[in-house]
Amino acid sequence: MAYSTLTNYKLLTLLILVLSGCDSNEALSLSKKSIIYCSEGAPESFNPQTESSGTTIDATSNQLYNRLIEFDPTDNSIIPAIAKSWHVTRDGKMITFYLRKDIQFHQTSYFNPTRALNADDVLFSFNRMFDSSHDYHLISGGKYPFFQNAQLVNLIESIEKINEHTVRFQLTHSDSSFLANIGGDSAVILSKEYADELIELNAMQEIDMLPIGTGPFKFKQYSSGAFIRYEPHSDYWRGKSELKQLVFDITPRDTGRLTKLLAGECDVIAYPIAHKKIEQHPNLTLESVTSFNVGYFGFNTSKPPFNNPLVRKALSYAINKQAILETVYTGQAEIANGLIPTSSWAYDSTITSQEYSIAKAQELLAQAGYSNGFVMDLWAMPVQRAYNPDAVTMAKLIQADLLKIGIEVNVVSGYEWSTFLRKISDGEHQSVLLGWSADHPDPDNFFSTLLSCSSAITGSNRTFWCNKEFDQLIQKALQTNNINKRKVYYSKALKLINEEVPLIPIAHSKRYQARANNINGTLLRAIGGIDFNGVTKN
Amino acid sequence: MLIFTLRRFNLFIFTMLLLTILSFSLSFLFPGEQLINLTGQIDASPEQLAILADEYQQQSGLLSQYFSYLNHLFHGEMGYSMTSNLPIATEVLNRLPATIELTCVALLVAMFFGLPVGFCAAIYHRKLPDNLILTIAMVGYSIPVFWLGLLAILVFSIQLGWLPSAGQISLLFEIEHVTGLQLIDILLSDSPYKWQAFQDATRHLILPVIVVALAPATIFMRLARSAMLEVLDTHYIKAANAKGLTFSQIIYRHAMRNAVIKVIRDVGLQFANLVTIAMVTEVIFSWPGIGRWLIESIYQRDYTAIQGGLIVLSTFIFIVHIIIDFVYAALNPLAREPRNGKR
Amino acid sequence: MARDKIYQEEEFPTPLMQLWHNFKQPPVVLIGFGCFLFLIVLAVLANVITPYSSVENHLDHLLLPPAWSDDGDVSFLLGTDNLGRDMLSRLIQGTSLTFGLSIIVVIASLAIGVVIGSLSALTTGIKSSFLNHFLDVILSIPSLLLAIIIVAILGPGLENTLWAIIMVLIPQFVHITRNAVREEFAKDYVLASRLDGASSIRILRYSIFPNIIEKLISQATLAQSAAILDIAALGFLGLGAPIPMPEWGAMLANGVDLFYIAPWTVYLPGLAILFSVVATNLVGEGMRHALKVRKEN
Repeated sequence: MAYSTLTNYKLLTLLILVLSGCDSNEALSLSKKSIIYCSEGAPESFNPQTESSGTTIDATSNQLYNRLIEFDPTDNSIIPAIAKSWHVTRDGKMITFYLRKDIQFHQTSYFNPTRALNADDVLFSFNRMFDSSHDYHLISGGKYPFFQNAQLVNLIESIEKINEHTVRFQLTHSDSSFLANIGGDSAVILSKEYADELIELNAMQEIDMLPIGTGPFKFKQYSSGAFIRYEPHSDYWRGKSELKQLVFDITPRDTGRLTKLLAGECDVIAYPIAHKKIEQHPNLTLESVTSFNVGYFGFNTSKPPFNNPLVRKALSYAINKQAILETVYTGQAEIANGLIPTSSWAYDSTITSQEYSIAKAQELLAQAGYSNGFVMDLWAMPVQRAYNPDAVTMAKLIQADLLKIGIEVNVVSGYEWSTFLRKISDGEHQSVLLGWSADHPDPDNFFSTLLSCSSAITGSNRTFWCNKEFDQLIQKALQTNNINKRKVYYSKALKLINEEVPLIPIAHSKRYQARANNINGTLLRAIGGIDFNGVTKN
Repeated sequence: MLIFTLRRFNLFIFTMLLLTILSFSLSFLFPGEQLINLTGQIDASPEQLAILADEYQQQSGLLSQYFSYLNHLFHGEMGYSMTSNLPIATEVLNRLPATIELTCVALLVAMFFGLPVGFCAAIYHRKLPDNLILTIAMVGYSIPVFWLGLLAILVFSIQLGWLPSAGQISLLFEIEHVTGLQLIDILLSDSPYKWQAFQDATRHLILPVIVVALAPATIFMRLARSAMLEVLDTHYIKAANAKGLTFSQIIYRHAMRNAVIKVIRDVGLQFANLVTIAMVTEVIFSWPGIGRWLIESIYQRDYTAIQGGLIVLSTFIFIVHIIIDFVYAALNPLAREPRNGKR
Repeated sequence: MARDKIYQEEEFPTPLMQLWHNFKQPPVVLIGFGCFLFLIVLAVLANVITPYSSVENHLDHLLLPPAWSDDGDVSFLLGTDNLGRDMLSRLIQGTSLTFGLSIIVVIASLAIGVVIGSLSALTTGIKSSFLNHFLDVILSIPSLLLAIIIVAILGPGLENTLWAIIMVLIPQFVHITRNAVREEFAKDYVLASRLDGASSIRILRYSIFPNIIEKLISQATLAQSAAILDIAALGFLGLGAPIPMPEWGAMLANGVDLFYIAPWTVYLPGLAILFSVVATNLVGEGMRHALKVRKEN
């Protein structure tokens, strides 16, 4: 006993020593100048060209890369970035970009750039997606969701280098959303020099996993599924960040993120829950931004029973959206009447979605020959996104709703986010709760990405719904610059969606974020991912 | 001692044999194709699969299939994770040390607190301290560990703000992975923030260790209590009493040593239980250990990972088991060789 | 057949009656036993006595705190969760899932374990030694890992986790039955019946089982507290009861996301688990105490 008490005492002293130990100034500066961002999921890739999920965009796009042009965070107008200016011919078929000359690529342990960014890099970045015989085209699977969904493959006729710092895009026809697409989060510029070096090293697949870009931060370390470590890019053309480190702490559990924020282990967290708790806390700020998004309940229209439009329509009558809005979104969103949020110019208030009516749902279900109901799978996305802060709860509500019309729902959840997306793209689901945050403010970004035939092939159309009439409508809308004409086409498209119900739009929501009060700067954007450029800590 | 060692070695071989048979048969039992479950190569082309089938001797009988599986295991090849496409061996090596750190520290803490308290209860048999300790022990091993973990985080991380709630160390510190045991790695590293990192890692360790150690500690309390009661009931204690030794002399010199030996015999069995608790705790505290990885793997239906995890974790437990047996034998001559006396 | 009492016979209470006599002595055990019975009643009558259905959503009453707090509503005595489901109803329904099923699980594994255990007690030599080592291996695998493997084979779901837990518990019963049977076989009264020409099965049935049953029951209480914790742990990890089921562990997991705004959704299921495990352990404790007292007499 005496012996153990003595050791006990020793241990306690040691413990106190360890815990209280002196704080040297160095350590202070490490935590004072570093930001830990608790993100909701692991990026699938470090190149947003190859992945369009919000998690990948958040982690990479604005941190590691720049685009030719970007959107102004306040009014969403197009502003210069890598291209200091650009010129569009009157017929809209030829666009010339004039590049800045002072843009340096990242210098890392695995790459030493010898030259500044020039037209070759721009050509390389676009040709990789555009030219199917390009050396790098098939690396990482050969899928470029944003590029292919926006039909840029058919739109772009050629890309030419005019001189070292001028690039010209020749289009097959005028397209009103072209500039918006080029400014989107996925249209990043990579380094051709790095790519050439990788070919020599025979390590081409590393281009998307050990990224080199021109953005404010450079890649330091990635521990798969656990964290990403970035360091500031000292030659960043907009000025070096004051931070010493930027760490993405991948914390998929909602409560885990909030706990870390409350315990001071994170400085900023994505998609916070328990908004009231954060607002009441003296050292924390809750912020939100109106975001261009839609949360939806999509059907796999290639599988029975959802290959039958009557069944899909029946379900759209059976969903109590108001209840979902109050429980899942805690009232912080608007009911989606269509695919497009009310703040978009393409929004048409005359089109309203199906009202909540069990009787109508049952009637349609009987017409379709399923009066006794059926059993279905509902895949609920495992992470929080602005458009769907809690898919599992939403799934539970839908489960209760559909039980009223005799449909039994199995909720499928628990897959890790990237696995989930892969399985959904492969069409393993019967129905799914998912959503979409726009890359750019043009309404086409909703229509083409979510429901066009070409995106059914790339996998971003998770309903696999392919309707010729719908495709024609959105094509026509792109071929004109006249907003009123486009609006008419989009209204027709929205009506068609309402008739055919490949998906049930549920809500358009704000995007939330919480941060400690000592973090300054604008992080959230209405369009696209977060941006740590210019963010400081004091 | 030689016979004792040989016997343990024998047992170890036998156990490993059973364990590998079990894990090999799992590849048949899991849903999906056996070869893919075994290798984890979900994206393999037909040609690659043919090569793999050849490697694992799929055409021959079950026995040679098993032996080729064993052969792969011996070379440290446990296939590839179906989710991350990394070799299972790498994944395990990255994570096992964290689990070793957590479980071993927790085991020591549980014994360190459990044994003295249990002895205390025995000394005050059927008096107030005894009843109090028994009550605490009862609640201690009845508490669901995931609930305890959540409450601990709420109280110590959020309300008091004393200790961090997740992970092994703050992500700001870059510590190179050498042994995988975080505290040792920190001491080996040449980071300018070494001392801070060490403090930080210790602070991260405290809560999970306490949560893991609580239930085993209460079991050790009860074991220690009954062992001590048994010892106090023996003739040699009575003889010592008759000789006029003081009570504290009897306890410290004679009773405690023998009681500790009795408890140590059962520590091995408790270790499997402790690892179970640690698996759940790892989930709650986002501890980057093998338990959390295994639970994640089942969400992802990563059968190759589950198979590899089973072997590694069970082997680890068994090795600890054997180490404890040796400690027991070293302390207790009776267990070592029959000629040292009769049991 | 009626038999006249000719002689003044001394009535010997059966072992179970003796056990009960010793068992009910300490008041705390009796309280525990009362709680245990209360839980059984709850589990059986769950559907009858709950005020609401466990899956009914009261969307006007989301996240209502328990009735004793200022914002509480007496019609939802223990408050509601994020879907407006009545916590009290869910907890009561959960009793029949977590607690009730744990009893079934233990009975099933007891039955299987006793059969295997007695058979193995009757075998000797290499077969017995193999089984012995095999059990050791199984016992050294953490129960949760074993359950996870079985769930991986069968797929997640409540029924499959029950099978998993049954299989996890069987080795304990095999172990204890075999040891107990061996011990009894060595005793003189068994030798006596054997000399009478009784077969091994008959000896097991009439001589040995009545004498080892209390040991088995005592082990069963231990197994049950483990079963409750395992069912809840698997439910908490999302491998057990599917989503709307009010299994306590799954309820707790659901509550975790609401921890900071509605802490009662975490406290209450946790307390329910704690309560039932403590009650079970008290019963087991009382049982072991009674056995010890009888042995000492």
